[in-house]
Amino acid sequence: MLNFLLKRLLAIIPVLLGITLLLFFMLRMLPGDPAQVLAGQMASPADVEIIRVQMGLDKPVYIQYASFLNRLVHLDLGVSARTQNPVIEEIWAKLPNTVLLALCAITLACAFGIPAGVIAAVRPYSWVDYLVTIASLFGISMPVFWLGIMLMIVFSITLQWLPAGGIGTWKHLVLPSVTLAAFVVAFIARMTRSCMLEVLSQDYVTTARSKGLKEKAIIIKHALKNALIPIITVVGLQFGLLLGGAVLTETVFAWPGLGRLIVDSILARDYAMIQGSILIFGLLYTLVNLVVDLTYAFVDPRIRYE
Amino acid sequence: MRKKASSKHFKQFFTCIAIIIMAVFLLAPVSSAAQIKELKIGIGVDADTLNPQEQTTTLFQNICDLVYDNLYFQDPDGTLHPRLLAKHEVSEDGLTWIMHLQKNVQFSDGTAFNADVVKQTWDRILDPKMRVPLRFAVSMVKECVKIDDYTVRLNLKYAFAPLNATMSMALVSPISSAALTKYGEDVRRHPVGAGPYVLSEWVKGDRIVLTRNEKYWGKAPTVDKIIFKIVPEATTREAMLRTGEIDICYKPLPSNVADLQAQKNIIVEMPLDTRTIFMGLNCQKGVTMDKKVRQAFNYAIDKKAIVDRILFNTAQPMDGPVSPKIFGYVKMDHQYDYNPGKAKQLLKEANFDFSKTINMRTPNGRYLFDKQVSEVVQAYLQAIGVKVELRTYDWPTYVAGLLKPIEKSELEVFLLGWGPLFLDADMALYGQFTTEVNPPKGLGSSFYSNPVYDEIMKASRKELDTNKRFALLKQASEIVWDDCPWIWLHVEKFVLAYSSKIKNLVVTPTEKFYPTYITME
Repeated sequence: MLNFLLKRLLAIIPVLLGITLLLFFMLRMLPGDPAQVLAGQMASPADVEIIRVQMGLDKPVYIQYASFLNRLVHLDLGVSARTQNPVIEEIWAKLPNTVLLALCAITLACAFGIPAGVIAAVRPYSWVDYLVTIASLFGISMPVFWLGIMLMIVFSITLQWLPAGGIGTWKHLVLPSVTLAAFVVAFIARMTRSCMLEVLSQDYVTTARSKGLKEKAIIIKHALKNALIPIITVVGLQFGLLLGGAVLTETVFAWPGLGRLIVDSILARDYAMIQGSILIFGLLYTLVNLVVDLTYAFVDPRIRYE
Repeated sequence: MRKKASSKHFKQFFTCIAIIIMAVFLLAPVSSAAQIKELKIGIGVDADTLNPQEQTTTLFQNICDLVYDNLYFQDPDGTLHPRLLAKHEVSEDGLTWIMHLQKNVQFSDGTAFNADVVKQTWDRILDPKMRVPLRFAVSMVKECVKIDDYTVRLNLKYAFAPLNATMSMALVSPISSAALTKYGEDVRRHPVGAGPYVLSEWVKGDRIVLTRNEKYWGKAPTVDKIIFKIVPEATTREAMLRTGEIDICYKPLPSNVADLQAQKNIIVEMPLDTRTIFMGLNCQKGVTMDKKVRQAFNYAIDKKAIVDRILFNTAQPMDGPVSPKIFGYVKMDHQYDYNPGKAKQLLKEANFDFSKTINMRTPNGRYLFDKQVSEVVQAYLQAIGVKVELRTYDWPTYVAGLLKPIEKSELEVFLLGWGPLFLDADMALYGQFTTEVNPPKGLGSSFYSNPVYDEIMKASRKELDTNKRFALLKQASEIVWDDCPWIWLHVEKFVLAYSSKIKNLVVTPTEKFYPTYITME
């Protein structure tokens, strides 16, 4: 087990290296000059050139990459071109907000999605099943910004129960979490339903039933536990994506998270910032994947990592 | 005798009472108004730097103004008021400017404001190693020399009449020298100035908080604390204004202005801006080299309709080459009113090749409804038989395309905005239409080049007499208006929505607003 963990952790390094390599050269292939963006529309070419030199962008790309890697080994992600602050500080300021929002959304989504899927699977083609299916379809098809604005109109402007935007109290967390969860909940519910349906038709469930076990025990202990593997995979993937920041939700609810940071940095061609935040995102994503793999072993004792 | 004496006493007594009453009246509004504890302002983006020499975004220059104060303050009418500068004198040849500083001024950290600090500021601005993106605005200044503790002299490379208005820019606001020693370039995160406010908290991506500077040399501000809340989505800012989570909403969506105006508890103020939005026409390449074609394009577009239907009247059609708010503006005698018939006739006269497809470019989201405006212009041109292909770019890519020299330039028709940073026509007429600013040296991407025009603009910079200078700017305006290097579209308005409780908010045509001395009901 320990061996496996160590191997997997070491495997993260080439993955991240791959990310930096791709990202580094892709970014520099984009048209648009970061120095010009920084200097503004009216700046003189001489002043733009000074900024370009200060940013080290006058050097050949491979030298820029080498110095980037050199800094990375020393755990230095560089300095944001736009704000001149260390990239790690900027990310650190936003990361807790993103993690908090992602955790809330995924908890909400699991709390509603899994039971809904189970109920739908237990009573297939009943009105409950149709309700869950239709609701999931809504959840998946609704544009996030539209749902966000609708919730805001109802709960902030009309009812005045919740704040429209910003961070601070638990109340600020409600609307963005619900908005984000709406999509994920639908996804999880659909996944749970189809997995449960499959498991419920297996021989061992029939055996359990013929043994005279209680239906509740069959569904939760025998069926759900066996259906959990794909569900965990979906939850893990979704959680990983949420950690990358939910740009639209963050924008609508003025939630200072990683998503906006990444988009703003791309628009400003803030290379160091883009590289740093994508790298951190990549790291988190691979870590979440690792945790997902480890949970498999807990859910299904047949899975062993040697 | 006695009677006279008593009447004299009576008079003295009366004067005393009168003075006391007057004093009470004068002081009363100040003391009662000074009770505004907190003002929340919703803005779209977080600041990158609060070093005024580095800042290029108007909104953050605005915040810098509150922290650092200005040398001169330009009010919404364009009048200059002394602030950190008491007055100035200009030599006859316009090459030497003597600046007299305000005495008894301190920075918020207690450092004295004097000639040394001002000289240090200018040395930093002029040092080519420093990052000063707007340096071009003071490129005429050769050096700053200290004369005595409260006087400095600016030596100029060439005469530049609007230098006094330039002094109203945050670009030249001094930073405390002690803070520079303490923080170095990190002063961008720890701004220390001589303005009415100090930075007390800056939570990245969430808020910037200013509190009243107790050491401020001028009149004490009426608001204790100003919170700039970062809310990227305009719709959310509006929602927060309606729910009372913020008091001022920076730039709400034009499409919602009418709805906001209908709210009883909200005021929408929208003064005309300095920024003009236009379609640049390449004067040195392609079909738009022909002046008749350029004029035809101007007749082909119904600018009034664009302003009414696309921009919901948050703009006004251009009737001269610069914004009406600017010194040097003159409404032109001849107007290019919508006239597709005349446009077609001019194209015929120019032997226009209708089989060719013209390439039109637009940014997306840089200016108010920029892409939509471009689409409408495209439709109007197609209506007179001109084939137009429209391409959209993100801003960095777009600017890179604008800056290519003429040999490499692929520009034919392109949308752009240009907003002078103070109320003078020089930055517009010189900064867009002289040969000197043709790319790659500047952003005069229409490649307009007219020696007569260049001469007039150069002369205007040397002319210190206001009336004579105005006449020169008018002459230049008429030439360029006739030559049409642009499709003259519209002048934007600066939209600010706020709670109707707020009174006396100062809103300027340079997209700035000053809540320093507001009162609240």
